[in-house]
Amino acid sequence: MAQKRRGKGPGPSQGEDPAGDEDYALTQSASQVRRNLERLSPAQVDQKVSELVQYLLVKDQKKIPIKRADILKNVIKDYRGVYSEIIKRAGRTLQQVFGLQLMEIDPKHHIYILVSILPRLEVDNLKQDDCTAKLGLLTVILSFLFMKGNAAKESAVWETLRRLRVDPGVRHEVFGDVKKLVTEEFVRQKYLEYNRIPHTDPPEFEFQWGARAAKETSKMQILRFVAKIQNKDPKAWSTQYTEAAAEEAAAGGLFQDISTPGDTGGASQGARRRTR
Amino acid sequence: MSEDAGSGSNSLQGRGLDSGCRQPFASTSRNGAVPEHQQRRLAGGQGRQRPLEAANEGGDGEEEESEEEPGQGSERAEPDGNHTDRRMLRHQYRQLINRVQQNREDMLSSKSNSLTDALQEANKLFSGVSQAREAALDAQFLVLASNLGKEKANELHSEMTVFDSPAFAEDLLTFMGLNRLEGEENDSDDESIASGFLPNNAWHKLGAEAERYFRRSPSFHYMLGSFKADPPVPRQRIERQKRKAGTEEKRAMPAQLKKMEESHQEATEKEVERILGLLQTYFKDDPNIPISFFDFVIDPSSFARTVENIFHVSFIIRDGFARIKLDQDKLPVIEPSHEEEGRENDQNAQVRNQAVISLSHQDWKDIVETFEITEPMIPPPGISQENES
Repeated sequence: MAQKRRGKGPGPSQGEDPAGDEDYALTQSASQVRRNLERLSPAQVDQKVSELVQYLLVKDQKKIPIKRADILKNVIKDYRGVYSEIIKRAGRTLQQVFGLQLMEIDPKHHIYILVSILPRLEVDNLKQDDCTAKLGLLTVILSFLFMKGNAAKESAVWETLRRLRVDPGVRHEVFGDVKKLVTEEFVRQKYLEYNRIPHTDPPEFEFQWGARAAKETSKMQILRFVAKIQNKDPKAWSTQYTEAAAEEAAAGGLFQDISTPGDTGGASQGARRRTR
Repeated sequence: MSEDAGSGSNSLQGRGLDSGCRQPFASTSRNGAVPEHQQRRLAGGQGRQRPLEAANEGGDGEEEESEEEPGQGSERAEPDGNHTDRRMLRHQYRQLINRVQQNREDMLSSKSNSLTDALQEANKLFSGVSQAREAALDAQFLVLASNLGKEKANELHSEMTVFDSPAFAEDLLTFMGLNRLEGEENDSDDESIASGFLPNNAWHKLGAEAERYFRRSPSFHYMLGSFKADPPVPRQRIERQKRKAGTEEKRAMPAQLKKMEESHQEATEKEVERILGLLQTYFKDDPNIPISFFDFVIDPSSFARTVENIFHVSFIIRDGFARIKLDQDKLPVIEPSHEEEGRENDQNAQVRNQAVISLSHQDWKDIVETFEITEPMIPPPGISQENES
């Protein structure tokens, strides 16, 4: 019977992880990790990997980014010494089995999200639920923010939304408390950032794209969305187009154009494509 | 917050910013358009070093050196070192800052030059600054102006390719399936909200289109729920079968239930009545001799039934249908009470004593031996129940 390796320092069951211990266990070198790995049976490690995969999938349901601290506390526990290996394998499983990419959207605070790497189905009649409607609202906001220079005052955003019959002071029949949805839920999910503008009294806030939005979509994609809605060519907005193209080029062509609706030039077959 | 202090330099007209050295005492070039001013300040800067040194020797703070300023007054714009003037200066600065904050929108408007005007005014004020306190206010204004400048520049940027958000909103509504009512004059200048009927699935439709531009991971849910899949399936089948045969079964069940309920609820009462009946029957035979308590309740074959019997007899005693006394040998005897003067009065008038009888298994055995009890006087209830059902 393989013996369970004791974790270093106070165990995670104490409820708080002294940051020092957490980092110590996690910043071990590759060779140390390999040595730790040898002390464990493959079955044990596989078990942890599977647990982590399930944990990530379930945590992702609400689209709230997953913290590394939570992963360590709830799943990894005593296996911290092989954390890097477990997360690597879990990422691989997610890619190969589910077509999902585990991405760290905040390297400082170690926060992860899951993003799809499969091409979108160009099929109608896909399931629609509340999330779909909320995404519609979010996309409108993201479009507005990008087209107006990547940031906009809260008042400007609401002004636009009011034209669409979405008013922060009025309970919406689809979205309910819209203000809460936009300023809290979307922010918690990291789709939007909601920051205070300095030197304003009474305090005013502005919106920007959040880290999740930056990963799940791109400026070019949103520009295409706007172009589709307004039935124009994306190049009609030259500044924005230039900016979007620059972002694409900087991203190096990874995961580009997974879905290019209405794009006649080269259908994506699920393989990665370089930018034009 | 001051990180933007130096960023908007190009868009701010006529003011070169040097965020590194904002020292009122040094000769920084603040405004290239006013060279005379600069020269004066240069001279003033050099001249000022003397009183500073004097003040330092005195060991006081800068505020205290006002008395030593008069000597240098001729070369500086600031008159002799007076609190009043400095207070005035601070007041003016604060006014300026307030004005800029209140008129934010105006400052930001690309059509107005008010931000530039404010900057020039601050520049003028600055010429009177010689102490850190006023300089701090000047710095505060500078941060404010820089932030505004940055915002203004941003707005310039997006205006280069104009994004018409009202038109975007209109197109969105069209996409979502807005059913514009005919015959209604739509003054889009007056109303910012279009008239018309927006269908219920409007946002879902928009969201479905938007999904195509995202790489969202689908929400993961276990198909069969979070628990093991097996139990729910059989349960459903059973339910269906039950429902079909339900109507017939229901008729049969209440009858049985009733009987069971009766036996549960009234079992005790029935038992008590039965025992009372037995007691009275026995007593009819021998009306004058009270029955020994133990003879009556003890069941030589079952300790449990003995205890039950005592339990039931206690009800009889409580209700006053029988009495327990001690006879000459100090042994308990039981006899039914004959008085019919109204049992209720009896219960109130009679002194009610309470006693706790403890009977262990060993006691019970001893009693059976001593009293040579061979048969229970209270027949076990099982026999009679079979007759009932």
